[in-house]
Amino acid sequence: MNLLALFRSILRTLLRDRLRALLMMAGVVIGIASITILASVGESSRRDTMKRFKNMLGTFDTIIIRPGSGKNRGMVSLTNVEPTLKFDDAAALVAEVPEVRRVAQLQNAFDIDVKYRDRNGTPAVFGVSPNWPELRNDTVAEGAFFSDEDARSLSRVAVLGEDARKQLFPDEDPIGKVIHIGDVPFVVRGVMVAHGAGPAGASLDDLIYIPVTTASRRLFNRDFLTMLIAQLKDPEQGQVAIDHIQVILRARHHIAAGAFDDFTVTNPRAVMAQVNTLGSTLNRLLRITAALATLIGGIVIMSVTLIGVSERRKEIGIRRAVGAGRTAVLAQFLFEAVCLSFAGGILGILLGIAGTQIVSRVQRLPFVLEQRALVYSALLSIALGVVFGIYPAWRAAATNPIDVLRD
Amino acid sequence: MIHIENISKTYSRNGLPVTALRHATFDIASGDFIVIRGASGSGKSTLLNILGCLDVPTTGTYQLDGADVSRKSDAELSRIRSRKIGFVFQSFNLLPRTTAIENVELPMIYADRAVSRQRAAAALARVGLSHRERHFATELSGGEQQRVAIARALINDPALVLADEPTGNLDLASGSEVMRILRELNEEGRTIVLVSHDDAVAAHARRALTIRDGALEAQGAGQ
Repeated sequence: MNLLALFRSILRTLLRDRLRALLMMAGVVIGIASITILASVGESSRRDTMKRFKNMLGTFDTIIIRPGSGKNRGMVSLTNVEPTLKFDDAAALVAEVPEVRRVAQLQNAFDIDVKYRDRNGTPAVFGVSPNWPELRNDTVAEGAFFSDEDARSLSRVAVLGEDARKQLFPDEDPIGKVIHIGDVPFVVRGVMVAHGAGPAGASLDDLIYIPVTTASRRLFNRDFLTMLIAQLKDPEQGQVAIDHIQVILRARHHIAAGAFDDFTVTNPRAVMAQVNTLGSTLNRLLRITAALATLIGGIVIMSVTLIGVSERRKEIGIRRAVGAGRTAVLAQFLFEAVCLSFAGGILGILLGIAGTQIVSRVQRLPFVLEQRALVYSALLSIALGVVFGIYPAWRAAATNPIDVLRD
Repeated sequence: MIHIENISKTYSRNGLPVTALRHATFDIASGDFIVIRGASGSGKSTLLNILGCLDVPTTGTYQLDGADVSRKSDAELSRIRSRKIGFVFQSFNLLPRTTAIENVELPMIYADRAVSRQRAAAALARVGLSHRERHFATELSGGEQQRVAIARALINDPALVLADEPTGNLDLASGSEVMRILRELNEEGRTIVLVSHDDAVAAHARRALTIRDGALEAQGAGQ
């Protein structure tokens, strides 16, 4: 048997009856398309969630320390935290926790009026240490961030988030201009690169950075911090660092054995891991559904092929008479089923890519193609053809030519 | 070429054994032209199927070119069919959705040889259908379909051509054209075994085998 010639002639026949072929593969097309869309959109939304968390948390090699025992949720501010976390705590963590590379400080407040000439707004005011952009993976778009010297000298300098810049300086270069935060004048030193949205969807750019020392002494008149961010030397050492931080802060805050911490330590990596697990459980469910759809597509191919076998008994008889053995007939029908389901798989992947593009546009997600899922889909469609083609092919091979050649 | 010895064929129909062929013994020499005659249901087609290696006898032996083919496997019988035997059927049995030339090429696929379009074209030319190469079977007249079927039967250059009522579905002119081609093939040295009711068709044969109720009756010479 000349397999190559046989397959070529089968392909020719399949291509002549495209409508029938298309109907046969419809199930596989839809199944594979939904697998592609689900895998890609799932991956895209996972990455998007990651990005939003990363936007909020900064880098993933950090540990976050907030005042209080962790009862209050949401963003910290001077009005909702206990006054337990001090500037000295930050210095102590750098000095005494070997896993910590450096610590950033935050003292922030909301609902403070900020004015520039006749324009005003209420961006969040973040008093931060000069190392803040490095720990948070932030970059300055224009101008510069403030320096250690600015922090030491309690300079009244400010760096704007993109939203605050748009609000206060819609069509003006803000650098060097004087804005009023509350009643205190600040000189605009720079503008940060935009972040986009956080996990809850709110903008992370509606804020103004000032030196934390200036905030503490000249604006808010408070000596406690709302958050510390400790950067680790080795991101894998998160739990060890947390244990160390707890021991040191408890000692510094004179907390008795058995009493609760007056601070909360969060490991962003652990939070992310949790978010990821949640996402993957949902993903898995969706994928099982899509796999079921594909399975049904396979069953459709099997039943239509089975009908085809009885419709084409005559053809089988003719092929047998001109020299086809049972194996040749088996190979033919199996090859047809594999061709159809593989073609269905490829069409499904193409449809899935188009669908992913639509879904990402509607959901405002970045367009991501799960390449592994594409390869799996293609392999799966071939496997479907084999699994669901083998029985009809066997039936075809078992057809007795004598019965069918006579009219 | 063919030596049939005491072959019988029993089928099971609805659980009951039916004997389609009983104790047939005969020889066919290479280059012979035989007609098998008999009423319908007499066992002609069963005999032809066995001769064509589509079926095997229940008992007895069938020697083709000196080799016993009565106990061969499906794969071996298929190989013999593709290399040594050409079939022509009453109802032409061309593949639908397939052009004339593709139908002619079909046996080359199964004969484990390169599929040669020129060879197929030559076979069609030989039966006078060069102008119909690209036509689908359904676009051809009965006579043309049967000539395509003959071209297909010849493509692997078989020594034995089996024809089951080849003119049964044809008008007189097409039928005599088909018979002319078969006789020509015989004159080239191919062995022809023909099943027919038609006396005019049977007249082309050198020898007749008559079957009644599964048994060979007489071996007379043709005209």
